[in-house]
Amino acid sequence: MPGAGRARPRLIYKEALVHLLVQSIGFGVAAGAVLALGAVGFTLQFGISNVLNISYGSLMSVGAFLGLFMLGLGLNIWLVMVIGGLAVGACSVVLNRGLITPLVRKGMAPFGLVIVTVSAGIVLEYVIVAVAGPATQTYGNRSGATLNFLGWTLTTAQVVIFAITVVLMLGLHLLLTRTQLGRAMRATSANRTLARSCGIATSRISDIAWFMSGTFCGMAGIALAITIESFDFTLGSIFLIPMIAAAVLGGVGQPYGAMIGGMVVGIVSSVSSAYWDPAYQSVVAFGIIIVMLLVRPRGLFGSATATRKLLA
Amino acid sequence: MRKALVLPLVGVMAVVAGCGSTASTGKAIKPGPINIGVIAPFSGPAAEFGTLISAPCYAASDLINQAGGILGHKVQCTPVDDTGDPADAVPNVTRAIATISNFDLAVGLETNTAATTVPLVNRAQINMVTTNGLTNYDTTTDKYFWRLTPADDANGAAMVQYAYNRGYKRIAVVFENNSTDTGNTPGIEKAAAKLGVKLVTNTTIPADASSYSSVASTVISLHPQAIIFDADPQSTATFLSNYSQLTGGKLPPMITATDSLTPDWYNAVSAAVGTGFIFNKVDLVGSYFSTSTQAFYTYRNALLANPKTHALADTLATVGPPASIYDGINIMALAMLMAKSADPTVYNAYVNDVVTPKAGAVVVDTFAAGKKALSEGKKIQYVGVLGPVTFNKYHNFAGAFAAARFTGSTTSVNAAIMPGSEISKLLG
Repeated sequence: MPGAGRARPRLIYKEALVHLLVQSIGFGVAAGAVLALGAVGFTLQFGISNVLNISYGSLMSVGAFLGLFMLGLGLNIWLVMVIGGLAVGACSVVLNRGLITPLVRKGMAPFGLVIVTVSAGIVLEYVIVAVAGPATQTYGNRSGATLNFLGWTLTTAQVVIFAITVVLMLGLHLLLTRTQLGRAMRATSANRTLARSCGIATSRISDIAWFMSGTFCGMAGIALAITIESFDFTLGSIFLIPMIAAAVLGGVGQPYGAMIGGMVVGIVSSVSSAYWDPAYQSVVAFGIIIVMLLVRPRGLFGSATATRKLLA
Repeated sequence: MRKALVLPLVGVMAVVAGCGSTASTGKAIKPGPINIGVIAPFSGPAAEFGTLISAPCYAASDLINQAGGILGHKVQCTPVDDTGDPADAVPNVTRAIATISNFDLAVGLETNTAATTVPLVNRAQINMVTTNGLTNYDTTTDKYFWRLTPADDANGAAMVQYAYNRGYKRIAVVFENNSTDTGNTPGIEKAAAKLGVKLVTNTTIPADASSYSSVASTVISLHPQAIIFDADPQSTATFLSNYSQLTGGKLPPMITATDSLTPDWYNAVSAAVGTGFIFNKVDLVGSYFSTSTQAFYTYRNALLANPKTHALADTLATVGPPASIYDGINIMALAMLMAKSADPTVYNAYVNDVVTPKAGAVVVDTFAAGKKALSEGKKIQYVGVLGPVTFNKYHNFAGAFAAARFTGSTTSVNAAIMPGSEISKLLG
């Protein structure tokens, strides 16, 4: 009997550790859903246009601030997410048509384009500051009720964002695999010159890709603003690197890979911060990415072509 | 031969006579105002801090100018944007040092950028009144460094002392992973060990993560009675929101630093977890000063009188770092009068004299009173908003500490006072 008395605390400790693991995975899935949403948009645009768009983070911030403006008009938060996403999609097309495409036509090298997108991102951030100021903003508490299931503790907002992400991913999957537009996008992604010679209007496909990418980006920005409760103009820039990491992990230019990559980054960060110093959660996530890429340089679902594009 | 010997002797005697009197030496003041460089972030995410740090400079300079200025010159506050980033601060501060005329005093130089800005200003031989809390400046030998705010480790010890006084014996410590916030940690650990307070966790979190649920879950599982927490507004709001979601809305008492008394912090946290938590469960620990002295009323009225600072008056008036800048500027200005020079290489030697008690000295609580007394040939001791100041040999001064409660979106009232000697013992 005395022995049983000593064993009980150890059992409780083990149960607590398992409970923490299960909970952390749940938190990671919720965080990963937002990352996946952003990463899919990022990789979709890169896959089609071959431009590493660093201003993507700033476009996310634009989405979050557009959301703030629309909430001020009294619109429903989920409607705001859709409209904000579409508006950022339009901004993204303007960025492509007004800045990127002319520079590509003039023969600018990929590295030069990266610098242009970095510059565009900085300009966008300070446009936000000029309009809305540098102060921290908030949508207010939009989390909704707390839900407990499968040992996970999530808010209604997190569940809805996860559901939206899943629906969008499913829709994207159907678009890419079951429609003529999707086939044209995949063809353009695989070989732009060949696609054009086959009669595909690649510049229109590129516009559509930038629009869809921007829409995902804007929605991710608003989802992030809902999740973290308060934000400023640096919102998107902070999350850009984890999103790019998720896209690279999944395989550059591979939407499905970006989904999985987002989830992996989210879950690994969450679980590591539960068991180790939370300050190093990003270190753990990126360390695992490095190891995985050493083993499989193309990423989980990547093709050699896309990897070469990134390195070009 | 005799003539050749006499002339140098006359010269030496003239120099000695000059030293004996209060005649000025050092570089002359150029035409125009004496500039006080406010080195703080005026752009980027921390831009709000620049506004807060500028306000006491405007209050002090307004009063100095109303009293006729310093040595016939007006003073003005000149913002120097350190951007909140130590690397970006270097070119901006270097340019300011090179281009601003009569740049004879610098204030601000906050923790995030102090590692690069303090050496630059010290090398330029410009006196500074810094609000940085870095503990490595506790024993600095930088000649032009002056600090009237406690180092972060002392603030950390005060946080634990306050928790102990409230009866909390199990505390969770969570700080954002930066030099400003983690600077509290050594003091917290020392104080907890001396007071027998158990730190159930002592961890850091990255800034601006999308979720802190795992950290919150870990903290909750350790059942702390209170949490000592400091992070930027965005991270604080996210953490508390995550915590609240996991506990069905229950949040523990939170002890944080007075730097959380900002509109940004209040707006972010109130939106995440409500104002009830802020008013009832948050204690702000920082340096203490009395709000019932004539010096305080003069300071507050000056803040209210200037349109640039009017709206912030009630927020700033009760917070230590801005008050330390106000007092610091007055002390430096009076030192310039005593030295009859605005050249920092000259007036720096008079700074201690301004605040040191001495027989027959007139105690003054404003620049105007000090100027009047000095013009009448009297000795002075400046006792301002912070009360009597005694700099140690490292040019540091840390007085008492207080825990304050929010009374409005940006206002607070002191709830408890802790003597500086009590906190020093914890760190000893």
